[in-house]
Amino acid sequence: MATTQLDRPSRRGVAVRSRRRSRDRSGPTAVLFSLPALAIFAIFTILPTAYTFVISLFDWNPLNVSQSTFIGADNYRKLFAHSTPSFAASALTSLYFTAGMVIGGTAISLAIALLLSRGGSWLSGVRVAVFVPHVTPLVATSIVWVWIFNPQFGLANAILRWLHLPAVDWLDSSSTAMPAILTYSLWHEVGFTVVIFLGGLAVVSGELGEAARVDGANRWQEFWYVTWPQLRPVTLFVVTISTISSLQAFTQFFVMTEGGPAHATTTLSYLLYQEAFVFFHTGYAAALAVVLFVVTALFTLLQFRTRRSTLS
Amino acid sequence: MATRRRVAGPVLRRVVAVVVGLTFLGPFWWVLVTSLARTGDVYKFPPSLLPHWHWANYARAWAAAPWVRLFGNTVLIALCTVVLAVVTSVLAGYAFGVLRFRGRTALFTVVLAVMMVPQTVLLIPDYVIAQTIDWLDTYWIQIIPFGGSVFGIFLVRQFFAGLPPELFDAAELDGAGRLRTLWSIGVPLVRPAVIIVALNVFMGSWNAFVWPFIMTSSTSVQPVEVGLATFYGAEGTDWTGLSAAVTFTTLPVLALFLALQRHFVTGAYSAAGGLK
Repeated sequence: MATTQLDRPSRRGVAVRSRRRSRDRSGPTAVLFSLPALAIFAIFTILPTAYTFVISLFDWNPLNVSQSTFIGADNYRKLFAHSTPSFAASALTSLYFTAGMVIGGTAISLAIALLLSRGGSWLSGVRVAVFVPHVTPLVATSIVWVWIFNPQFGLANAILRWLHLPAVDWLDSSSTAMPAILTYSLWHEVGFTVVIFLGGLAVVSGELGEAARVDGANRWQEFWYVTWPQLRPVTLFVVTISTISSLQAFTQFFVMTEGGPAHATTTLSYLLYQEAFVFFHTGYAAALAVVLFVVTALFTLLQFRTRRSTLS
Repeated sequence: MATRRRVAGPVLRRVVAVVVGLTFLGPFWWVLVTSLARTGDVYKFPPSLLPHWHWANYARAWAAAPWVRLFGNTVLIALCTVVLAVVTSVLAGYAFGVLRFRGRTALFTVVLAVMMVPQTVLLIPDYVIAQTIDWLDTYWIQIIPFGGSVFGIFLVRQFFAGLPPELFDAAELDGAGRLRTLWSIGVPLVRPAVIIVALNVFMGSWNAFVWPFIMTSSTSVQPVEVGLATFYGAEGTDWTGLSAAVTFTTLPVLALFLALQRHFVTGAYSAAGGLK
């Protein structure tokens, strides 16, 4: 169907091939070709985003939408009201998790990438080992780590006991639950950023480093003054994508702690899920979604920036 | 001293690297050992680090949920999503990469803007939409929304933009339709991009949890990961059975990864865009 429609103008345009004409001919084809993807985006992403804003202005009744009442900015005012867990508390929890993932993830993956770079084929096996966790489903491997962090019989406390260190309650204590989830999440995510850093290191100039060494720089100075500055765009990219993905993290919190104990691991994403699909405070949850959207959008814009600077 | 350092350096580096590698693989070994342990074994100290080949855990876990149906659902959903996403990405990628038309920049900006919206934000409105069009608890709601991939369009467009535009003009002169040109000349030339997009979408679909968990309620349409979470919720203390279920639900993904390892790494670079 599409073919016959597109054939006609193309035959007509054979004689004269001005840029202007080819532009006119391509128009309908281009629209037709991009339509399937754009239609899906429009129905399931763009309109729903606008719809979220609308819902956030209502006292939304999920069981009977027609009984929803317009309440203006009340849901947003509620963000600053006292509730358990409060918006502010879960925003801080999100910040805790995101900071841990970004700082810890960047440092660890850069260190592993430096360890594995220029190692030849011998070290590629290690690279595979580091990358494997990243492809595993979050539900499955979160369950494994709940078992590892089991206070009585888990591997984590067995290692501590073997080292003659005191046992830790891990996921059962509000002070160690987040570090435990961070450990799991780093194990799951770091492989991806190691590969990104290895890609960055592959294009780092070896000559500059050699020149620095000839001038008497030691290994650390060479890294700090020569290698690291060249990795800045890659690092910025890793930082922004880690921020975006950490803000959305949900599954490990659902499986490992359900936001507890005592809301210690209730992040914004978890609070949103809980308010919307457990307590059915849909309007309030939509206001949370709007906040999450604005923050994510800002970081995505930053990511576009870094990507452009990397390309040029 | 310099020579000693030259010898010690690489050896030390290798030792550290192997320790790092084994640390990352540790949890896999631990779950495998637990899945093959007798129930009493897992409550001992020091924990046994060698498997006891007690396969009964697998039989028990396999009988506890309709895994065949769940696997079937997962494969069906993942494959349909891949086909749809690849088709829409190739079509749109061709439009944006090869064709020149008015409004191209504006439309492409719309595509990029889609990237700014995280899935978490879409859960509420898409749930309401699915409710309205009667798509809750169906395959459709798990397939169609993921049938468009910004990453896919972006990658295919980049591949097309790197090809000489005359390729498509010449074929057009021969009278072949755009669609036929795209299929016979375009697709084979952007095959690497198609493979990366397919793999990316497949893994995303296979590992999805929040979306199907919210949008579905019956095992007849649910994927494996939701079934696994349900099993965990019901049998949260049967660690040997849970470990067996974790093992057999994760093996297909691991096998796919080991078979197509190279493409996964290229895919990671492509996701980083221009960092090749």
